[in-house]
Amino acid sequence: MPNPLTHGLAVAAAALLATTGAALADWPEKPITFVVPYSPGGGFDSYVRAVAPEMEKILGAEVVVENIPGAGGQKGAATVYRADPDGYTIGIWNVPGLTVPQLLGKSSGYDLTDVTWIGNLATSKYALAVQADSEFDSLEALCSQGEPFKHSDTGPASTSSVTARISMSLIDCPIMNVTGYKGSTDTIVGLMRGEVDATIKPIASLLKYQKSGDVKILMTFENERTLADVPTSTELGYTDFANFDLRRIVGGPPGIPADIQAKLSEALIGAANSAAVQEWSASSNRPLDPVGADEASAIMSNLMEFYTQYKDVLE
Amino acid sequence: MGFDVLIDAVMTVFSSGSAIYVLLGVLLGLCFGVIPGLGGTTALALLIPVTFSMDSLDAMYLAGGVMGATSFGGSITAILLNTPGTAPNAATTFDGYPLAQQGKAGMAIGASATASALGGLIGLFTLLLVIPVARELVLAFGPAEFFLLTLLGLVAIAVSARGKLLRGLIAGGFGLMLAFVGSDTVSGEIRFSLDTDYLWDGIPLVPTLTGMFALSQMIELGLKGGSVAGVAKEAKQRISGIGEGIKSVFVHWTVLLRGSAIGTVIGAIPGLGGTVASFIAYTSTVQSSKNPESFGKGNIVGVIAPESANNAKDGGSLVPTVAFGIPGSAETALFLGILVLHGIDPGPSILLNNEREVYGLIVALTLSAVGASVIGLIFARWLVLITYVNVHVLVPVVVAVSLTGVYVLDGKPGDVVLAMIMGVLGYLMIRFDYPRLTLVIALVLGETAERSFHQTRMISDNEMLAFMAGRPQSVILILLIVLTLLLPSLRRVKWRRGGEA
Repeated sequence: MPNPLTHGLAVAAAALLATTGAALADWPEKPITFVVPYSPGGGFDSYVRAVAPEMEKILGAEVVVENIPGAGGQKGAATVYRADPDGYTIGIWNVPGLTVPQLLGKSSGYDLTDVTWIGNLATSKYALAVQADSEFDSLEALCSQGEPFKHSDTGPASTSSVTARISMSLIDCPIMNVTGYKGSTDTIVGLMRGEVDATIKPIASLLKYQKSGDVKILMTFENERTLADVPTSTELGYTDFANFDLRRIVGGPPGIPADIQAKLSEALIGAANSAAVQEWSASSNRPLDPVGADEASAIMSNLMEFYTQYKDVLE
Repeated sequence: MGFDVLIDAVMTVFSSGSAIYVLLGVLLGLCFGVIPGLGGTTALALLIPVTFSMDSLDAMYLAGGVMGATSFGGSITAILLNTPGTAPNAATTFDGYPLAQQGKAGMAIGASATASALGGLIGLFTLLLVIPVARELVLAFGPAEFFLLTLLGLVAIAVSARGKLLRGLIAGGFGLMLAFVGSDTVSGEIRFSLDTDYLWDGIPLVPTLTGMFALSQMIELGLKGGSVAGVAKEAKQRISGIGEGIKSVFVHWTVLLRGSAIGTVIGAIPGLGGTVASFIAYTSTVQSSKNPESFGKGNIVGVIAPESANNAKDGGSLVPTVAFGIPGSAETALFLGILVLHGIDPGPSILLNNEREVYGLIVALTLSAVGASVIGLIFARWLVLITYVNVHVLVPVVVAVSLTGVYVLDGKPGDVVLAMIMGVLGYLMIRFDYPRLTLVIALVLGETAERSFHQTRMISDNEMLAFMAGRPQSVILILLIVLTLLLPSLRRVKWRRGGEA
């Protein structure tokens, strides 16, 4: 005689399989919620709003953008993390903006190691800039001025602040992080006002101000040159600097079935490569770097390891 | 060269039929302004997805229509119900509501409409004048000046609390304590969060303000019963005071100019905005008045000053935007977000590359400033009737609508709870005669004050005073602070001498 408990479990399992099987075949059957963990109008928001209509076309289902701001992006992240893993709730993640709080035990409601990664949407590499008429012409000059060089930033947990503090600690360069600027453009204006000696910010943001003659980019944090006339950190011998970047990466709650993950990933990459999104990216100076689910998962576990090494610097 | 584009933008708005978007924006802005808890920021945030499918210029017209209309809409509620419709209208309640109680709501609304329209125009005109030097202006003001400006605001709190200095300082001090809740800008540490991640980003302004003013006032009204204008019996016949209100603005043109100037300057400073601008405009008007005792009892000048300031701030908040593509206010931040969605990259060359959109917005704001006031005046006659509605009908409606508004902005249930707590606190403050706006102003100023204090300390290598002494713009602000502190004492001395003679 079958044990009623195991029998019951077997029935439940069969039922579950049947429903997931059916769900996979015609997934998606209802609108998909795409969570942005910040208020409307910011960088992450605009990326998501640009790709969402194209994902809709590919998936044949509505993609609803929902802004859930709060606690530096952690509230939105936690909302996505706790959602049902049915693929109907996904979100965009700020890395290392969300990686660092987790490493320091200051995060709540999510764990990046078991998020179902769907794909990388954009990657920003960093650059070091000084005032256009600055006396400093290299990172070396900044580091050897006898006192810590002043660096402008929004807050101590921001991605560029994390990059600046870790990278400068790697070469024992004393740095004083002047925080409190309202947004990344404001940190560049602070540099122009001469309040700080230098700032480390995404290449695309700084480039606008180099073109207008307000700042001078000394070095980019990468392996191969984006800017023809600016040396990369790797060329200059700062080996680890190319590891730093800001990723806008898309993921859902842990345990999304592989087929649904693949469908979502395909839609995200397809949307990022569509003519409309490419055109938006070029004219708004918001670079794209579409990478599929497998590679994105690998990148995420590498990054976790990379930042774990520097836990002490951040604390 | 700028004026060609401006004229071009004016022509476009009328010839292409796009004026309909401005009108739509104005109507929407008025509605969002009138309803406590909802404001310009909420309206624009909700509009972002809608503008996605629109032409970028039409999106600007819509956004400009909304931006220019909300603060006048908010003044109507401030005058009629003692509840600011949007944050910057808080100071308007001081004299606007007493006027409504005396049955002179029409006069107050007429003055507010005229001051709003003219203040808006002065702000935008100033913006057009300073566009050629906007870069230099933005670069001249750094954290040291921001810190001194917040100090000036805090000093104004102390001075404004006539007769109840101690209570004013207690409320202000409590507001400052609230301002320090949340993450520390320097260390990133979370302070006073009561172990809830809701408080990580600090105490949000909109729920606090809605509770402090709208809910507390509804508790007060509900307990009192009757209707707002219950005292003024033959008031119904006196709604015609509108013309008198319009005229009063021209009579008190110096108040208008000072309010507009304060609004434009404060508007250009990120993080301060209309609430602080209208408060400083109000206090400075009280200070320079010959009979400061008449304020708070229905002095029409007390409506003109804050209303001209909170509309002039829109022009000011665009100064950093045209210079470097950085927002001067929450509204301009959303306006820049709309540009990015339309594939435009706001930056230092925004005026070169996106002249069309920037001037489109300026034209929309101009039309909106005037349009909102005209529309408002047309409906004022009927709106005033709200003050005759029995409070047992009025209170539940206002409470429900304003709490919904608080929830809509970020979708956080915590915001609704906070608004209710602030509502009870606000009611207690009314009962025990503590100034509520003082608390709110300190909350707004505290954040910027702390941030810019630490920034100044770091960039000056802990030599703050020496650093400020070397900057003429800082020295002027320090002198203004000293003057503001001394003025009441100086006047008292003068008055005494006058009395003896």
